[in-house]
Amino acid sequence: MTQRTTIDARGSFCPGPLMELIANLKLVEIGDEIEVLSTDEGSAKDIPAWVKKVKHEMVGIDQKGDVWHVVVRKMK
Amino acid sequence: MNTPALFILLCSGEHEKIQMAAMSASIAAVSERPVEVFVAMNALGAFRKDREGNRYSGGEFSKLMRERKVPDAIGLFVQGKRLGDMKIYACSMAMDVAQLGLGDLVEEVIDAAGGLTKFLADAESGQLIVF
Repeated sequence: MTQRTTIDARGSFCPGPLMELIANLKLVEIGDEIEVLSTDEGSAKDIPAWVKKVKHEMVGIDQKGDVWHVVVRKMK
Repeated sequence: MNTPALFILLCSGEHEKIQMAAMSASIAAVSERPVEVFVAMNALGAFRKDREGNRYSGGEFSKLMRERKVPDAIGLFVQGKRLGDMKIYACSMAMDVAQLGLGDLVEEVIDAAGGLTKFLADAESGQLIVF
């Protein structure tokens, strides 16, 4: 069953949210999802670019107030 | 097709340049791109164990980064090495001139002492950026 982990990276500057995502991806199983909460607009653009490059999967990205919710599925 | 390796020649002791080098190196490494960093000249001082808390020179942006608690450059190098393929070499000439040994440098960052000739030869296969 798919698990979702949430990382609170609000207040962290680039590339902090991306680094936290990558560190946590190593800890979860293939198919699991990680939701990154970030107030860094650059990371909201960088994380999808990184996900595409290394061939994981974007589940969704949503802005609520000044917080981006970026959800990624581990694919390998 | 494999992404060509990224080679970073880091000479400056300025916080702003070391920060950009650390960000470039760590992001490339976690993006499945091999990275080699060659630390020389004034940059070497930032990697000394005895400079904890006083590693960098810098200008206005350095002050802002400290105030806003931007991730530390040395910490970014460490993260990049843990999460990707990154090697960091200290220039053997700069170490000789500064009378430093590997034991004087932050161990979890510096892999070995190295020479510029080999670094440049390796860099022919990839992309070289100088900071």
